[in-house]
Amino acid sequence: MLRYVEQAGRRTLDGLDQVGRASSLLGESLFWTFLGRRWRQPVRVRAVFAQMMQIGIAAVPITTLLATAIGVMLAVQSLYSLGLFGAQSFAHVGISLSLTREFAPLIVGILIAGRSGSALAARISTMSINQEVDALRAIGINPVRFLVAPALLAMLIMLPSLTMWANLVALSAAGLFVSASLDVSLAAYTSNTMSVLVPNDILHGLGKSILFAVLIVIVAALNGSRVTGGAEGVGRVTTRSVVHSISAIVLADMIFGYLATQ
Amino acid sequence: MSTLPQTQTSAPRAAAVEVRGLCAGYGDTQVLYDLDLEVHEGEIMVIMGGSGSGKSTLLRLLIGLELPQVGTLSLLGHETARLGPVEMLDLRRKLGVAFQGGALFSSMSVAENIKLPLREHTKLDEATMDIMARLKLEVVNLSGFGDLMPAELSGGMLKRAAIARAIVMDPRVLFFDEPSAGLDPIVSAALDELILRLREAMNMTIVVVTHEVESAFKIADRITILDRGRILEIGTPDEVRNSSNERIQNMLNRRSTEEPLDPAAYLRRLTGNA
Repeated sequence: MLRYVEQAGRRTLDGLDQVGRASSLLGESLFWTFLGRRWRQPVRVRAVFAQMMQIGIAAVPITTLLATAIGVMLAVQSLYSLGLFGAQSFAHVGISLSLTREFAPLIVGILIAGRSGSALAARISTMSINQEVDALRAIGINPVRFLVAPALLAMLIMLPSLTMWANLVALSAAGLFVSASLDVSLAAYTSNTMSVLVPNDILHGLGKSILFAVLIVIVAALNGSRVTGGAEGVGRVTTRSVVHSISAIVLADMIFGYLATQ
Repeated sequence: MSTLPQTQTSAPRAAAVEVRGLCAGYGDTQVLYDLDLEVHEGEIMVIMGGSGSGKSTLLRLLIGLELPQVGTLSLLGHETARLGPVEMLDLRRKLGVAFQGGALFSSMSVAENIKLPLREHTKLDEATMDIMARLKLEVVNLSGFGDLMPAELSGGMLKRAAIARAIVMDPRVLFFDEPSAGLDPIVSAALDELILRLREAMNMTIVVVTHEVESAFKIADRITILDRGRILEIGTPDEVRNSSNERIQNMLNRRSTEEPLDPAAYLRRLTGNA
């Protein structure tokens, strides 16, 4: 019994330690982003663009595919459940609100956590093992400024952009399915959707995506920097990073959703 | 032993590296005990010791990757603990480090690796940086290899490329971590020659951490012998060779002086966990 209490206590302390490290890493990343030039350590625009290409542009095809699937899936389920009450004509309400406020940011967040968060964790952990992070410091380059800050900036730009794109694609896919199923014109469906959606719904989803962007980068960087062992260690921190960031995204989504609707 | 003029100079030279009362460790595990060490300008100092002697920790302290628990460390007359971030950055520009495995950035070509310090710390245009990278590659006998990726280089070439990156800012102090480790004797001898040539051509202060006895005696002006975190001897290669200290003689003659290891203590030392 005492052992379990001891273990729980140790894990709680470790968790608190991680939260502290994450806050410190976020603070340091923001410091270099905004004040780096003054300390002769600017965050390079070229590095930010390179990350934006990897995180955002390269993820457009898979985001489009998933957003289409989510849009059609929501349309199918909405038509089925509302059909039980003979209220299929209100399908656009549930589809548009749940897509913009919930599904688009969540799916994009999870996708990018698996795709780019894992890549960042693997990159930082491999560089740590190969002494490349030590080499950066020896050259006089702050590793957080060089590795983390460009990824954070790129993520903060690209995740909301991908979320907007996912909104557009998913709403269009759902619209096409519903209009075909209910035999109404796409223009009429679009007009109904636009009358339901208010800017706050879109901002709600974008707010979440900004929060997810921070979580993905900080969790990946933190896990990557704590690597031990060789190639096996890289695999371990990469997996851990994906699990941690997806868990953090889902929990943050719930808390954000609750607080924003109070 | 090197026969370059610096070793015979009688006038006192300033200390490029000065360590006073330095203690360091990880957590509660002490690794280095009360070290005093001076490396003079233009000198090649080789720090030797067996596994677990603390030489890697000492190097990490010297290049600013770790902080001492007690004592002071001065580089080029500046006490590092007293420097602010910008001053430390200025100081780092005068230091070069060639890591054991090269530590080249695997996502960049060899030339891009060499240009990185220039790109970060100078306002040189691309064409000038290209020329400087080419010149440094020539110095280390790697002309024409700039476009290759680090994964395409052999072990010896990786080390040479790492040296090219370390000297691209024309540092005043150059640190080497195990330059001969993992290399065959011919490549290793060529690297020793390169180190001597660098000192001659660029008048650098060079600190080499190694456990290779032959290489150490070939390049060193002075040798520091570390053993279990303490300095056993500092002297010229002749002085070290003629030392009456049994542990030094055992090390030079490759006789084992290993004592029974306490596995728990060894693990703590490795992981830094008390």
